[in-house]
Amino acid sequence: MLTLENLSKHFGGVRAVDDVSLTIREGEIFGLIGPNGSGKSTTVNLITGLYAPTTGRVMLDGYDLTTMAQHERTAMGVARTFQNIRLFGNLTVAENLWVAQNGHEQRRAHFLSRWFRAGGERGADIDELLEFSRLLSKRDVPASALSFGEMRRLEMARALASNPRVLLLDEPAAGASLEDGQLLAERIRAVQGRGVTVLLIEHMMELVMGITDRIAVLNFGGKIAEGTPAEIQRNDDVRSAYLGSKHKNEELAHA
Amino acid sequence: MDFYFGLLQIFGVHTLLGLSAYVVLLTGQVSMAQAGFYAIGAYAAGAATAMFGMHIIPAVLLAGLVSAAIACAVGFPALRVKGLMLVVATLAFGEMVRMIFFNLTWQVERDGALVGPNGAEGFRAIRYFPENGWEIWQVTTLIWIFVALVMAALWWMDRTRAGAVLRAVGHDEVAAQSIGLNLTAVKVGAMTAGGFIAGIGGSLYAHTVTHIEHGIFGVLLATFAVAYPILGGLGSVFGTLIAVLFIQGFLVEGLRFMGDWRSLLFGALIVVAMNLRPKGLLGDTPLRLGGLRRKPSSTPALQEAD
Amino acid sequence: MDYFFFIDLLQSLTDGLLFGTTYALIGIGFTLIFGVMRKLNLAYGAASLAGTYIGLLAFLNLGAPPALVFVISALGAGVIGLVVYYCCFRFTPETVPMASLLASVGMLLFIDEVVVHLSHGMPYPYPSVFRDSVIEIGEVWVRGDLLFVFLMCVVAMGVLFWLLHRTPLGLATRAVSQQPRAAQLCGIDSARVNALTFVIAGVLGGVAGAMTAAAVGVLSPIIAMGLTVKGLIVVVIGGLGSIPGAIIGGLLVGAAENIFLLLRGVTERDIYVMLLLFLFLTLRPGGLFGAHAGRD
Repeated sequence: MLTLENLSKHFGGVRAVDDVSLTIREGEIFGLIGPNGSGKSTTVNLITGLYAPTTGRVMLDGYDLTTMAQHERTAMGVARTFQNIRLFGNLTVAENLWVAQNGHEQRRAHFLSRWFRAGGERGADIDELLEFSRLLSKRDVPASALSFGEMRRLEMARALASNPRVLLLDEPAAGASLEDGQLLAERIRAVQGRGVTVLLIEHMMELVMGITDRIAVLNFGGKIAEGTPAEIQRNDDVRSAYLGSKHKNEELAHA
Repeated sequence: MDFYFGLLQIFGVHTLLGLSAYVVLLTGQVSMAQAGFYAIGAYAAGAATAMFGMHIIPAVLLAGLVSAAIACAVGFPALRVKGLMLVVATLAFGEMVRMIFFNLTWQVERDGALVGPNGAEGFRAIRYFPENGWEIWQVTTLIWIFVALVMAALWWMDRTRAGAVLRAVGHDEVAAQSIGLNLTAVKVGAMTAGGFIAGIGGSLYAHTVTHIEHGIFGVLLATFAVAYPILGGLGSVFGTLIAVLFIQGFLVEGLRFMGDWRSLLFGALIVVAMNLRPKGLLGDTPLRLGGLRRKPSSTPALQEAD
Repeated sequence: MDYFFFIDLLQSLTDGLLFGTTYALIGIGFTLIFGVMRKLNLAYGAASLAGTYIGLLAFLNLGAPPALVFVISALGAGVIGLVVYYCCFRFTPETVPMASLLASVGMLLFIDEVVVHLSHGMPYPYPSVFRDSVIEIGEVWVRGDLLFVFLMCVVAMGVLFWLLHRTPLGLATRAVSQQPRAAQLCGIDSARVNALTFVIAGVLGGVAGAMTAAAVGVLSPIIAMGLTVKGLIVVVIGGLGSIPGAIIGGLLVGAAENIFLLLRGVTERDIYVMLLLFLFLTLRPGGLFGAHAGRD
């Protein structure tokens, strides 16, 4: 469904992403892991269009996204969250979802009703998402007043507000405890249950090994392995990539 | 009495000028081009009535549209840059407009006299109101009808998705892009709306003073345009209105007894105000139909997030 | 090309490049402040001019010699720079960039009014040196007063470079401008560095103001707006935070201004300068040397 073809991004002499090819299948939860600085976040930014690739292509169902602007990619069905949460703190929770309604179907609404109708933040679709994210009671609270966990949930809900086909989660467990990780795993499964394909970029090994269908491993910008969680755990290249960090290595073995 | 009507007229046109910058500021951009759009509106409307005998209402709207079109055309290249770059780019545009009017001579004969912009001397005899027997209170009412319409429209917009989108872009451009907002379209849209409002303000201004010249539309006026909404706070259109009343009413007129010293106080009070109320006199929390929106009661979340 | 026209062009270019060093100094001042604080000080031009007026006071009341007048101008502007820092930047929250911006606008208006008030808005004579001496290089004349302006500005830049690259203070300043958070963790008092940067920038502005007045021979309040606008232009052309960029930007602006003056006359000159600037900014937003393209 989402395909990266020989994708590269060079910053000057640094090859942040180097000739990465991947295919993510419809409906799966795909994990993208790798040590710090291995190019995971850059890959997300290439898929969403924050960066333009040096070479290679990003394809979604046969459509070439590479030259599309970010808002066009959203209309095609790509959505994301950020490693360091980026909410609109000056808007209410409901308004955060309201402004994010930029999906393909939503774009077809009449210009005037789409932009200049008051009270749209009280729509049924927004209520449904708030319910899904357990934020309904906070709907009129400014996003800046939420707790950390609520902010994470709101950001994921905001990404879902455009009815995406594929959701890119950039380290959603960053700053969360292990118990939070369990809850997060449930949420990600629930997202999958809505028919959304998930690309999960993560450090927390237990989370990745526990819920993903397949995993790709990046190191120094290049892909060094791809397979099911079980295959990845057995892979020697992956082990040596993580060797610099003994802790991670043990984590990998036990997960 | 006439003095107070004159004062009300100044409040009105300056409120329009400030509101034109307010729309653009909501998207987080400081535009120093508003005085330029105001000048374009002033010259365009002046030309429409004084040179071609148009009625005032269509002339004002026409001037607004001309300014809006130019704002839109300028917005596309200018809004590719932001922050300080945008400040200087828009400043350059504003000064360019001013210098073009400084050099513009375009006069036609009407009733045996030449009317129209005449270079450094400016554009004299924009005498639609006196020629058509308008009383000063009628002119003042007309200005305030436009102010009320613009304020109502902006207030309405702030309750719609468009308003929320402008604020979203102003808060975090990267996040706004990631949720599928077309930044260029949003910013150019705001700039175009700002151009329209500034054009209306300028056209009314030209008709109240009957004589305009390039020097009025300089950097100082551009600075005032952005100062009103920042000083008043970006929470709602009323912030801009309050700031205009504060600056033009209290400082310029109210402190008249202080003579020349009041202009000293003027800058000093802005400095003090920004130190005490950095988010503006009325703050930047958006005002909603149900009254003042709840403020975040505490911020434990932020500490946790660090 | 016509020979005489060519000479005129060369003459304009020479004058423009010599005078452009004052623009370069103002540009450096803006860039220094922007570098350490990531903020725009719109009161900078007015503060610099106010310093120049302090020098003028010494000239008119005490009959100080030109050299002393210039020094007093520079130091006066440094002190006013510090006042601007404390009034507009020290206590406004970092998270609300508009607050310090508008506060500096308020300061600009305040300083401007004080100057107009005290000088009654009238231009005053300002000491200028080597007014009558001219060095002839072929058919091109190098005016003595402009050459002096040029040399003084170059000296100011030299002192700045020494300060930034050879002193602990300079090291701290550069550290804060590159990594404010990290510099703070290393025990650098960023508030102190900021304050000192405002003083240094102020002194540079004072030199620029004094030299501008010395080149013209008169001091008038309207110079302030010119200094502000030209300074901003220089900064964005050179690239934000780049001192070499500001120098080259200043020379370019000085040269371009004089050439358009020659080609199009005084009334149309600024249209072309502004148009060029607008196009330059939107087509090459990073400036000639800037690393932070379009950063706010």
